[in-house]
Amino acid sequence: MENPRQITMIQAVAILISTIIGVGVLALPLFAVRAANSGAPLVTLLGILLGFVGLMIVTLLGMRFPNKTIIQYSEDILGRWLALLGNILIIAFFAVLTSLTAREFGEVVVTSVLKTTPVEVTVIVMLLLAAITTRNGITTFAYIHVFYMPILLVPVLLIVALSFKNSDVINLQPIWGNATGNMLPGILTIAALFQGSFILTVVIPAMRQPNKAMKASMLGMLIAGGLYITIVAATVSVFGSEEIKELLWPTLELAKATSLPANILERLDAAFLAVWVTAVFTTLFSSYFLTIHSMSKLFRLRDHRMFSFFLLAFVFIMAMLPQNIIQMYTIIQNFGRIGLGITIVYPGLLLVIAILRKKRGEPVRNQVKENAQ
Amino acid sequence: MLCHWTKMVKLSCVILFAVPILTGCWDRLEIEERAVVLGISIDLAEPGAEQEEDEVSHLRGSFPTPDEAMIRLAAQVALPGRIPLGPGEGGGGKEGPGQTVWVIDVVGHSVDDALMNLQQQISGKLFFGHLRVIVVSEAMAKRGLQNVNDYLKRNSEVRRMMWMMISKGNARKLMTASPKLERVPSLYLLSTLDDAVKLGKFPDDYVGMFWSNSSKKGQEGFLPYVEMMKEQNIDLLGMAYFKADKMVGATKPFEIAGYMGIKGLNPAGYRGVISLNGDSVMVVATHRQSKFDVRIVNGRPHFKIYVQTEINLEEKIKGQSLVVSEKIIKSIEEQNKKSLKKTYESLIKKTQQKGSDIFGFGEYLRAKKPRYWDREIGTKQRWQEAYKTIEVEVTVNTRIRRVGMKAK
Repeated sequence: MENPRQITMIQAVAILISTIIGVGVLALPLFAVRAANSGAPLVTLLGILLGFVGLMIVTLLGMRFPNKTIIQYSEDILGRWLALLGNILIIAFFAVLTSLTAREFGEVVVTSVLKTTPVEVTVIVMLLLAAITTRNGITTFAYIHVFYMPILLVPVLLIVALSFKNSDVINLQPIWGNATGNMLPGILTIAALFQGSFILTVVIPAMRQPNKAMKASMLGMLIAGGLYITIVAATVSVFGSEEIKELLWPTLELAKATSLPANILERLDAAFLAVWVTAVFTTLFSSYFLTIHSMSKLFRLRDHRMFSFFLLAFVFIMAMLPQNIIQMYTIIQNFGRIGLGITIVYPGLLLVIAILRKKRGEPVRNQVKENAQ
Repeated sequence: MLCHWTKMVKLSCVILFAVPILTGCWDRLEIEERAVVLGISIDLAEPGAEQEEDEVSHLRGSFPTPDEAMIRLAAQVALPGRIPLGPGEGGGGKEGPGQTVWVIDVVGHSVDDALMNLQQQISGKLFFGHLRVIVVSEAMAKRGLQNVNDYLKRNSEVRRMMWMMISKGNARKLMTASPKLERVPSLYLLSTLDDAVKLGKFPDDYVGMFWSNSSKKGQEGFLPYVEMMKEQNIDLLGMAYFKADKMVGATKPFEIAGYMGIKGLNPAGYRGVISLNGDSVMVVATHRQSKFDVRIVNGRPHFKIYVQTEINLEEKIKGQSLVVSEKIIKSIEEQNKKSLKKTYESLIKKTQQKGSDIFGFGEYLRAKKPRYWDREIGTKQRWQEAYKTIEVEVTVNTRIRRVGMKAK
């Protein structure tokens, strides 16, 4: 068998970035503006910081137990039965997250591009693609993310750069927003968009040098978070916060309002959507992978492949449950906020208990050799 | 051997499943099956239009008839194969609009209702992806554009980069016009406005910007105000300014220059006449810059605007003895300052009377004095009231830079 620890730091960064940038990008400015109108970038920043706290906890835990995923080390920390409860919650949460991502993707596609295609078809195609791809090992998983990362970053940055000529700084002032009440729900919603970063718990046991995981998570969060803030700032400065409240997907609208110089392409929404499909795929791929990988660890199997198609039916049915797009977004927001308990509070608890009980995993054996190379 | 077989079966299953999905047949729509709408005009319908309408999207007794006033909507549908694709296909003009587009008009209670009445009459599926121009009549705009804006914002095919304009009088005339310069009438309308922007005759004001400005709490939107002339060309009459979604007035053409000056928008393209005790010259603005400043004086916002313009001397109208010297240039500058200040102030007054803040003073106040805004204003309606009484102080500075190719 090949060496199971193959993932480099750069690959881990790429996995984080392309997992975090996903379906949420389209509605992100709307969530942010609802919380604090012109203070949207600030809300986004706070959301990112909260998301980063969660990621940092997960990374610290991962570095403490460099050979195990959260499913395994939670058993060491909490004991078998208590951990079982947490593990089931994690698996269920990411299964639902996968289905909601797929459904949100389906809704956007049906509303804006393929109007007569049944939403079931767009959802099942995406899920099937993810399911087939998860039949690969973690090394291939990393390669796929690295391959797609530039395709995700470049077009978004291009649209943002081109939209600057229509932007107005007045729209971004005051930076803390007018008459902002409680920003907390908005911050939580935005932090919830970073839940994909939980994938790091699966990646660390496969990293060549787990002690570099912290660096990877910082870099990944910096780039993905930077991109999120840039998107929010660009959208708000072009449209103004009041207009964004009327737009379901402001980022898509930004692409629609932006044209390449010399009218080569007069609207970039088609190009943007094409890229965005890739972004959704990588996110979906990660959360699907995380779910089935965790399941295989829960059942102490060596291989996760058998769950690939087993899960498909459940995820698909769950994706079809929301009755309409308004209900779907209510579910996504509430579910995301609740999920923070699973992706931030629960790992935080684990870390505290691990420190108190002085639990620590075995260090990686081949680490010294790797460093010497 | 068995393993080989299962692999084969698996593979063919995957292919069988993938093929129907990958073709994407649901949304296949051949280009000739589409009715590509290039332009739309919306008028208020004349009385008695109900008689003309079929009950397409409502049925007396079961689905209620909307009680809004009837509108008359004309759509310019492109004729496939007739639109010239490049300059190589002969000069435009001879054939008239009847050759490249098809203008059909229908009545309806709302935009969607009217479009569905239209769809009932033509075969192809209406496609709005290439919709570039919407002309709304002044009477319609004064009643309010809420319905029009809502339909266009909801429709995913419509672009934010299209132009919406307000026509003096009948809007349908602009759809049926056959201008000589372009073979497709809506493209002529489009290029009229695009070129106006390039020449500095009108600020950038795509429908998306109009929507954004109208949504803002401390700002109102404006749209180009046009009229068709007798040679079927389009005259840019000024800016139609709005209060929320209702048009409340229109400016004079030169006041567009006033607006652009106050906002510091470039390129500048308007000319002005300067008279110096009997002699007069014409100057052209080349560059503008402006700065807003707001202070709260006695609990009321007090705005200061600093405008800096650069001008060139373009023509001497009268006055043989007038020699362009440094001293004369100074006095032209002085004169220009005074005229500009008057223009700016009267334009602001005019919009203040209607409570339509097209300059975004309110937005500036919201951004720079958020505490005051939150305490005293807070909503769009209250700003519309407050705008009527704010103090605005204009300071203008002008520099003549060039005088053309003549030495004196």
